[in-house]
Amino acid sequence: MVYPDGTVALRDVSFEVKDGEFLGVIGLSGSGKSTLLRCINRLLEPTSGRIIWNGKDITHLPQGELRTVRREIGMVFQQFNLVKRSSVLTNVLSGRLGYTPPSWALANRFSRQDRQMAVRALERVGIPEKAHNRADELSGGQQQRVGIARALMQEPKMILADEPVASLDPVLAHSILGYLEKLNTEDNITVLCSLHYLDLVQRYCERVIGLRDGKVVFEGSKDDIAKMSDERFREIYGEDAVRMGGQ
Amino acid sequence: MAETKNTQLTENPRGSLLHAVLSLIVPGLGQFVAGARSRGISLLLTVLTLFGLSMWTVAQRARFPEYAMATSVYFRIVLACAALLLFLLAIRHLLTRFVLKDPLAETFTMYGVVIVFFVLMVWVGDDILATVVSAEQLSQIHAGTALYSGGALAALWLWQVGDAARVGNTKQLPLNRDGSKRFPTMAGAIVIACLLVFALGYNLTGVDMPKAIREYQDVGILLPRILWPWRAAFAYDQEVFEVVQRIQAPCTDEAAAPPSNPVLDDDPWVSATPTCGELSSRPVTGGLILGTELTITGGNFVPGQEVLIRWANPIGNPFTPRGMGETTIIIDENGEFETKLNIPDAVISPETATGAQVHSLIIRQESVQVFGGRLSNEMQLALIGLLETIMIGLMATFFGIVAAFPLSFLAAKNLMAPIMSAPERIVGNVLGLLAGGWAGLQVTDFVSDRLGGLDQAPVQIFLVGMIAVLGLGYLGLQLGGRLSEALLSRLGKDGGYWAAAGLLAALAGFPGYQMGLGFSRGVRAIVLGAEVAAINEEFYGWIGAVLAAAITLLYLYRKRSTRRVPIGLMLYAVIRTILNVVRSVEALIYAIIAAIWVGLGPFAGTLALTLHTIASLAKLYSEAIESIDPGPLEALDAVGANRLQSIVYAVVPQILPPVISFTVYRWDINVRMSTLLGFVGGGGIGFILLQWIRLYQYEAVGIAVWLIAITVALLDYVSSEIRERFV
Ligand SMILES: Nc1ncnc2c1ncn2[C@@H]1O[C@H](COP(=O)(O)OP(=O)(O)O)[C@@H](O)[C@H]1O
Ligand SMILES: [Mg+2]
Repeated sequence: MVYPDGTVALRDVSFEVKDGEFLGVIGLSGSGKSTLLRCINRLLEPTSGRIIWNGKDITHLPQGELRTVRREIGMVFQQFNLVKRSSVLTNVLSGRLGYTPPSWALANRFSRQDRQMAVRALERVGIPEKAHNRADELSGGQQQRVGIARALMQEPKMILADEPVASLDPVLAHSILGYLEKLNTEDNITVLCSLHYLDLVQRYCERVIGLRDGKVVFEGSKDDIAKMSDERFREIYGEDAVRMGGQ
Repeated sequence: MAETKNTQLTENPRGSLLHAVLSLIVPGLGQFVAGARSRGISLLLTVLTLFGLSMWTVAQRARFPEYAMATSVYFRIVLACAALLLFLLAIRHLLTRFVLKDPLAETFTMYGVVIVFFVLMVWVGDDILATVVSAEQLSQIHAGTALYSGGALAALWLWQVGDAARVGNTKQLPLNRDGSKRFPTMAGAIVIACLLVFALGYNLTGVDMPKAIREYQDVGILLPRILWPWRAAFAYDQEVFEVVQRIQAPCTDEAAAPPSNPVLDDDPWVSATPTCGELSSRPVTGGLILGTELTITGGNFVPGQEVLIRWANPIGNPFTPRGMGETTIIIDENGEFETKLNIPDAVISPETATGAQVHSLIIRQESVQVFGGRLSNEMQLALIGLLETIMIGLMATFFGIVAAFPLSFLAAKNLMAPIMSAPERIVGNVLGLLAGGWAGLQVTDFVSDRLGGLDQAPVQIFLVGMIAVLGLGYLGLQLGGRLSEALLSRLGKDGGYWAAAGLLAALAGFPGYQMGLGFSRGVRAIVLGAEVAAINEEFYGWIGAVLAAAITLLYLYRKRSTRRVPIGLMLYAVIRTILNVVRSVEALIYAIIAAIWVGLGPFAGTLALTLHTIASLAKLYSEAIESIDPGPLEALDAVGANRLQSIVYAVVPQILPPVISFTVYRWDINVRMSTLLGFVGGGGIGFILLQWIRLYQYEAVGIAVWLIAITVALLDYVSSEIRERFV
């Protein structure tokens, strides 16, 4: 993946994710984690390479079909990416847009089933009482739960989580990752999650890939990380990295 | 010489003579040679520009300016000023060297030099001019401007000479943190340049303070009437009655003169003797021959009241006797009066009148004016005009929102930039759009024929035309794109791309040809004249076509690796450009055009204001769109929302507060603008205001001004309240 300004953000990245897996992506800031996740649902167009989704090459899918692929892939963002001035319910409902006819948007209309589904999604993430609050009235942790509820509305087969807890304090981080883990185990949703802290990786991920300067420099199970030597660790996190958390 | 005027501080005692001399000959050269390239060039350009500008301004006094003469005269003035300034600097130098000896005083004495220089210019400026310029030449130029701008220019010249000396001595320059030399500040030069421009502006704007002070009374008469016009805002009741005595002129033998009125017992009466006689006349030789003297008596009027004696001509129109004015009489305590009056000269002179004419002698009694509690005509007109004005502003804002809102999405970079399209598709889009638009026009023609032409059903035909052209155009755009993509894909990946590129190049040839023709007709014709330019204009058309095609091909060649064209950005650029152009012309100008198009009146104003509002609101809205948080947009993309859904759920909620704020603000501006639109025929209160100004009806003017001011202030308040609530 090369950005228009010539930055090579990803190079020779090749990996596979099995259905129902919880895959962690680690790497320094700027190593290409966000770019990688965004290439998967083609929020960024990879300049070369292929993306295979359920055995189908989606790299050059036209917009119309891309829509049906994207609606099966939920996404959770570091900055939550909620519409701050809209209600929580509207934000959650917007997760359903991939399934609703576009012209309904002109009337701001969602079906009754969708509304009920949104309430259930909010119940699942534990904030049904906030449905009619404005999104920016919620705390950070609550906003991220709304983000997860929005992804849930997609009835996703996979969730891409781009540093979902980087803007939250550690207690909240566990709570949010707990929801993702629950979705992973209960609904068998594949989760691709980029994370900063190794202890979080060890606690939640089944498998990890490490990026550095756009290249995969590590791939292994969470046990491999626990066993990883400091030299190996430096390969991923750079020369001046200090191990934090983890051990 | 350059040494003497050097104005260094003590830590910088000696400048470079060489650089100073270089700058003395060519401004900025010393700095340039010393390595301060851009400083030197900008000084040279500044001096040249200011010299040219002053010289040109100075020469404008003559009806046929002689620039060569003005240049030499101006140059001499600059030299004289420079000599004066140098003299002052030399004195200062001696003073600081031998008398003051205080380094701190050196900086302060500089202010002294400036002040003395200015005072001398004011005091002996005329003498300076007289010594260097002949009286005849002086009459051809703006002497005052020449003197003051010349003084500033001389100062600038000398400043940069001193500057060259300082800059030239590179060893003494302090260093910046990165090791580069820190040059002294240019604040002095900037101040001098500003003074010069001020001197020119003083002349060009015709600033005449003495006149303003001398003639303050002119405004004193007018101002009170405008400032407090409220008596004229109401109607007053007044009882008026008139009694008439008929007077015949001249006397005739046959027809008996009108009888003298009888004396009445109860009602007011007037009577005159005789009731016929000669009119006053004014012979061509001059003077006034008085007409027959009448004895006029009357009674039963209000004692002590003033009555008016007026005349009406035979047609019945009252007239004021020439040279006599209106005659007033005070009624005595019995309610009676008696007076003598000569028959005035009538408008219809005896020569042109046929036969005897019967005039009316009118006694008019007016009671005091009583406040009627009703609005005067002027006030009513002003209120109607004001309402019209507010409505013009409102309608323009309303139409503006409707058109600007959709436009603003096309003019928002962040929404348009991601839109890329393959040339294979664009070919079909363009052809389909053209075909659809053409079909739409055919439909419109057909409907127009059925309805009996534009004169019969303009609105219906316009609506049908809009819907047909837009609808079919859009349909063509979509279908064409799909069709061409499908067809061209049969040629293989590369084949399809290059075939599309060829077709697009051919398509670009058409506008290219038109632009070539336009160049020939618009630019070549300026030099050659329309006839000569027309002879081979086709050649230029073809050049344009080939150029456009070549540019298109080249562009697509460079895009061959991605095979995608940022069509969204192109559209964005086009729409932004159009909006900027439309916005840069004042609504007043549009109003002039609209008044010719749809006639004087509020519709013209609405039309003009609408156009301007669309452009500026679209710009403001699109800027609001560009500054939204891109996060939600990305999230909705990831969810699989299409463009419309993203706009409704991610963009609109975010831009709502600024959009409301901008719209209210614009409404505010529009009402203010529409008060002025009437001045050029756009209707509203400005329309009558201008007439009142022309008729010197300053009370009415005052009423209008007050109403406008109250409205604007109220609007200001309301709009800021609304905006506060939404942001
Ligand atoms: N829009 C962009 N344009 C150009 N370069 C970018 C852009 N976004 C990210 N990059 C660059 O791509 C690299 C990877 O960035 P990113 O994927 O955001 O890293 P991470 O998410 O791991 O912090 C960085 O070097 C970054 O500077
Ligand atoms: Mg990132």
